[in-house]
Amino acid sequence: MAKTILAVDDSASIRQMVSFTLKGAGYEVIEAVDGQDALDKANIHKVNLVLTDINMPRMDGLKLLELLRKLSDYKTIPILMLTTESGDEIKAKSRAAGATGWLVKPFDPKRLLEVINKVIG
Amino acid sequence: MAEIHSDNDKTGNQCSNQSPTVSLNEVLCSVEADEYFMNIKMGLGQIDRLVSDAVNNLVINFKYISKLTKTHHEMVLAIEKMAAPEGSRPIIELLEKQMVIADKIEQELEMAITSLQFGDLVTQLLAHTARQIEILNMELQRIDRQSSWKTGATTLEAIHEGLSHAAKMAKTKNKEKPVVQQGMQMGDVELF
Repeated sequence: MAKTILAVDDSASIRQMVSFTLKGAGYEVIEAVDGQDALDKANIHKVNLVLTDINMPRMDGLKLLELLRKLSDYKTIPILMLTTESGDEIKAKSRAAGATGWLVKPFDPKRLLEVINKVIG
Repeated sequence: MAEIHSDNDKTGNQCSNQSPTVSLNEVLCSVEADEYFMNIKMGLGQIDRLVSDAVNNLVINFKYISKLTKTHHEMVLAIEKMAAPEGSRPIIELLEKQMVIADKIEQELEMAITSLQFGDLVTQLLAHTARQIEILNMELQRIDRQSSWKTGATTLEAIHEGLSHAAKMAKTKNKEKPVVQQGMQMGDVELF
């Protein structure tokens, strides 16, 4: 059975590129347009990994990370941050909040799949 | 006068705080500056829309080319199966060349995935620049109001202080720049 990844980004083109890459590798992808949308979908679907942007309207990726880690189903699920940000402070905050890893945009499809396969493969 | 205030309200500036002693010329000057900044912001908005539109079209093109490539790849494989072992050597060679081309197209498409993310980076940078312009506008409006209050007593020192404050505000916001990438090379990856 294919593993499901929740891809969260307010940029439609990034969501499409992420979906294209992951679906091509056999993953099922659920797309969310911001943190709130992701939280709603995370409560409905069973997800194996969350890949989220940070700067988003309504709810940012950091808040999403904090709220997901409070849910029993998401305590150990890998959560990867895919963002343009690379500052040490925000990276440390995310790490402390329970992020599994940090990927700076633009992502390379092969490298993204390597990382995902490593954490849920 | 009411019209001027109405225009300012649309831009969200605090011109209603202006002293009633402000002359019409001073208010007009402030409005002109406001319009100038609005035009810059509108220009940035236009760039953002054009980039988004271009990215949307490129993504559609990308997906279509990708789908065609996949079909082409499958067709070549099917023809190769039909041609062998009875197929003549030239046909087999031609099909092998076709396979090499199909593989190369797929590799190029994979690389395009990285480049196609430029829209997101540009949008974030434009939003950041628009915020900085908004801060600068607000600071200049504040200096303008202070100058009006101190009619006849405005010192160069006060104006210099105001400009320094504006520059400081802009610099502080610049530290929050969401995009530091200077090119479209793959970003760093770190597992915690």
